[in-house]
Amino acid sequence: MEQIGNMIGWETVKMVVGLVGVLVFVVLNALILTWAERKVAGHMQRRIGPKEVGPYGLIQPIADALKLLGKEILTPREVDKPLYYLAPMIIFVPVLVSFVVIPFDASLQVMDINVGILVILAFSSLSVFSILMAGWGSNNKYALIGAIRSIAQNIAYEIPLLLALLPIIMMTNSFSLKSIVEAQHGLWFVVYQPFAFLIYFIAGVAETNRTPFDLPEAESELVAGYHTEYSGMRFALFFLAEYTNIFIVSAIAVTFFLGGYQGPFLPGIIWFLLKSYLLVFVIMWLRWTYPRVRFDQLLNISWKALIPLSFINLLITGGLLKL
Amino acid sequence: MVERIKAELGATLKETPVGEADYRERGYHLFAEVASADLLNVARFFDERGFYLAALICVDYKEYLELVYIFSNHASLCKVKITLKIDPAKPVAPTISTVFDCAYWHEREIREFFGVSFDGHPNMTYLFLHEGIDFYPLRKEKIPVSDEDKKALGAFRPGEGEDTFFVNLGPQHPSTHGVLRVVLKMDGEYIEDAQPVLGYLHRMHEKMAENRSYLQFLPNTGRMDYLGPMAFNLGYVTAVERLCGIPVPDRANYVRVILTELNRLSSHLMWLGAYLADLGALTPFLFVFDDREEINDILEPVTGSRLTYCYFRFGGLYNDVDDAFVAGTRAFIERLRSRFSLYEKLVGGNVIFTNRTRGIGVITKERARKQAVSGPVLRGAGIPMDIRKSEPCAAYGEMDFDVPVGTRGDALDMYQVRIREMENALNIIEQALARLPEGPIMTEKAPRKLKPPKGDLYHTVETPRGELGIYIVSDESDKPYRMKWRVPSFSNLMIFPELAKGNLLADAVAILGSLDLVIPEIDR
Amino acid sequence: MVCLGERGVCLEKEVFPVKFAVVEKVLDLARANSIWPMTFGLACCAIEMMSTAMSRFDLDRFGAGVFRATPRQADLMIVSGTVTKKMAPVLVTLYEQMPSPKWVLAMGNCAISGGPFVFEGQYNVIEGVDLLVPVDVYVPGCPPRPEALLEGFLKLEEKITGKRRFPGPESRW
Repeated sequence: MEQIGNMIGWETVKMVVGLVGVLVFVVLNALILTWAERKVAGHMQRRIGPKEVGPYGLIQPIADALKLLGKEILTPREVDKPLYYLAPMIIFVPVLVSFVVIPFDASLQVMDINVGILVILAFSSLSVFSILMAGWGSNNKYALIGAIRSIAQNIAYEIPLLLALLPIIMMTNSFSLKSIVEAQHGLWFVVYQPFAFLIYFIAGVAETNRTPFDLPEAESELVAGYHTEYSGMRFALFFLAEYTNIFIVSAIAVTFFLGGYQGPFLPGIIWFLLKSYLLVFVIMWLRWTYPRVRFDQLLNISWKALIPLSFINLLITGGLLKL
Repeated sequence: MVERIKAELGATLKETPVGEADYRERGYHLFAEVASADLLNVARFFDERGFYLAALICVDYKEYLELVYIFSNHASLCKVKITLKIDPAKPVAPTISTVFDCAYWHEREIREFFGVSFDGHPNMTYLFLHEGIDFYPLRKEKIPVSDEDKKALGAFRPGEGEDTFFVNLGPQHPSTHGVLRVVLKMDGEYIEDAQPVLGYLHRMHEKMAENRSYLQFLPNTGRMDYLGPMAFNLGYVTAVERLCGIPVPDRANYVRVILTELNRLSSHLMWLGAYLADLGALTPFLFVFDDREEINDILEPVTGSRLTYCYFRFGGLYNDVDDAFVAGTRAFIERLRSRFSLYEKLVGGNVIFTNRTRGIGVITKERARKQAVSGPVLRGAGIPMDIRKSEPCAAYGEMDFDVPVGTRGDALDMYQVRIREMENALNIIEQALARLPEGPIMTEKAPRKLKPPKGDLYHTVETPRGELGIYIVSDESDKPYRMKWRVPSFSNLMIFPELAKGNLLADAVAILGSLDLVIPEIDR
Repeated sequence: MVCLGERGVCLEKEVFPVKFAVVEKVLDLARANSIWPMTFGLACCAIEMMSTAMSRFDLDRFGAGVFRATPRQADLMIVSGTVTKKMAPVLVTLYEQMPSPKWVLAMGNCAISGGPFVFEGQYNVIEGVDLLVPVDVYVPGCPPRPEALLEGFLKLEEKITGKRRFPGPESRW
């Protein structure tokens, strides 16, 4: 073992093991979240949700996944084949990379890069390419409109997202996620930066295309948006990526504002997952409560409200730090 | 009003006499037959006096085709029937779509079903039917569609421009609530033009009416508007009663009001849920269905069905309501009142909802009149017109309720009008329950076989969606000679193209939702 | 004659080239427990279809509550209402757009046989959707109650797996 380790370097072994772990986690997370989403939706809507398939309907996501796996792999005739094939695969890459730098626990982190948050932000903006590819490649008007909406939305909301994280980076003088978590040993940053937290959270919900910002896949307008023409496993990959993105947005919020894995009594990983899933629940709660905003309103919220607010917040933080 | 219009119309028409009809028997006050040269003048005459074109009907009398124009007024009760005889061998009539915009759609309908061509109409293409049907369905004799006509009818082709593309909203689309198809010409996300294409659920109700006896046609009424079948039932039953002069016992009238209002509640609730689903909020849909099921629980033991009710009979009711019904209804009223505050908090007070609907799809009073919209849409536009008030049938005349109107005429107003109408409906039900008289529910004078006297009748009732007009022509047989349904959704939909123009796709969906359409009713 | 559209999509493509009895069985079990219907309401029956998915009857209990608006992601087409001649080509196209394995449930008398709208001289109604697409389960009624539609779903599950989820009424006597 040690020999192999020395031969290719411990870092590589750690990396491979970590990636496998991340993959398992991603799939498990998506399975749990689809089940949770349906259960949460059910209980908010005065019904039960999945119940008959396994105890409390727990087997339901597995049945769904197997069914999607067993579906005919259908390629519409008019699609742009390379783009159509590649889109669902590409949407998955940034999702995986983001997990590599997230500290689940003090020692449970695949790689502590000193520019961790930059890696996440850089890769997460890649997912918009895949949505564009899916929308354009599908040769479907609904899909195309969905893709266009998605791009405008992602560009608009990436800015406040970053601007909301910057004050924290200024406060800790570090891009490394682990040192940011360690810096919150006393008080969580949400206490110092409540506005930044709110802005980040709103922008994060928008980045994951969830209600009230689910315009790219608005069912009542665009049927299914950019993945209208996708079926079976390809559709499942989009689904998987969506739920993983929700988790990542929540996980970064926890890391930056809610003390990450820190907490009394329980082990760090439990605290981390608890906090993350609590935020995921809030995102679901939003989805099953609010209507959808309109396209121009969506952009107005970002350009006219969130970006100026986050700038002001940044200036104040900078000023206070200088003092 | 009637006297004044009679004198003025007589002066305009000169030679042709203006007759006065018995309103209680015929449903209109004045009638006149005009020559086709005079028609446009008459249309302008009514336009200047603030009338709207309630219905445009074609009847095939074999020797001649007759076009019937019903003009009506929002402000005071005055209905005028104008008829125009045309030669069936060469059926041509002048269009009045230049004066009344809603005639544009009615004339297209008549073109397909009767083969009457309208001079000067800009677009005489298929609206309901399609190329596969090679005769004029509502003509009494089977007259084939000539190839020339077919070509003209099938000429509708969406043409794309340089910077525009087409989106078919429907027939299978989540926000069209059925099988409506709207061809949208889009420039990016903005709509340049919207063309509804109908007939995906054309179920030949009007043709069926000519093939069945009056009683046999009764179940069809519930299937036309499946969300508000009681009102359609009520309209048909009262129309036939009016035609045959059948009296209705008091108790039956009160029960009719209660059930119709309960059904109006369930229809409006359904609209509320579906509208919010259009705007992206799915949960209210399930909440309102919960309330709807409660209504079904009340109605089902009485009527025997959950959806397509067929409960009213000519001269009374199918069976009597019992104490359990009264108690259940009272309990439901309490329940729904407490739920309204919840809806108000969740929906009416929601910033996203109000921002999505305020200032969207604004209908002015003038446009509402020209397009002959009715019901909550008309009231949302600010015109206090409710047929329950102006022409009360059943026991509506004895009920005390107000007519809510909007101030801005936008989608938010439509929402508020409907919410207040629901509260009104609760009040009406309470009043009717308190005064519910004892007695028989079925008149003893109802004849076994209905053979109404010769003549016609235009009868209107207020359905959850607006003015339902039933035009029946009787030839003394047990089957109607012609039955035309002037349905509210059809007229309400027709204002959609102009509302959608220049708006975002998302707004178009919001506007379409605010009109509260039921597709089988449009297509008939 | 109804035009079925230009594109003939290959419907019965084998998902697995090699047949494994166990795998097939597991997949069938998964399919039966995750029937996603298409958001496709035609007429009156569509309201009862919605009722079935709503709070009181909750179709999602059986994992069948995920209504997909696009046929590409749906497994089941519930034909809930009258199919007219104008609608027929659309319906067939939608069916062809669904990836197999796929099922069709004819809900209500109109979809089964044209229902009350069949009379001499009728010119616009398809007398039974099985003239257009193969139908797996028929649910009669005008409209069928939500319980009837639920039973239709159970029948479809039975058809897929060969086993019934709950004991049927016939087992009582």
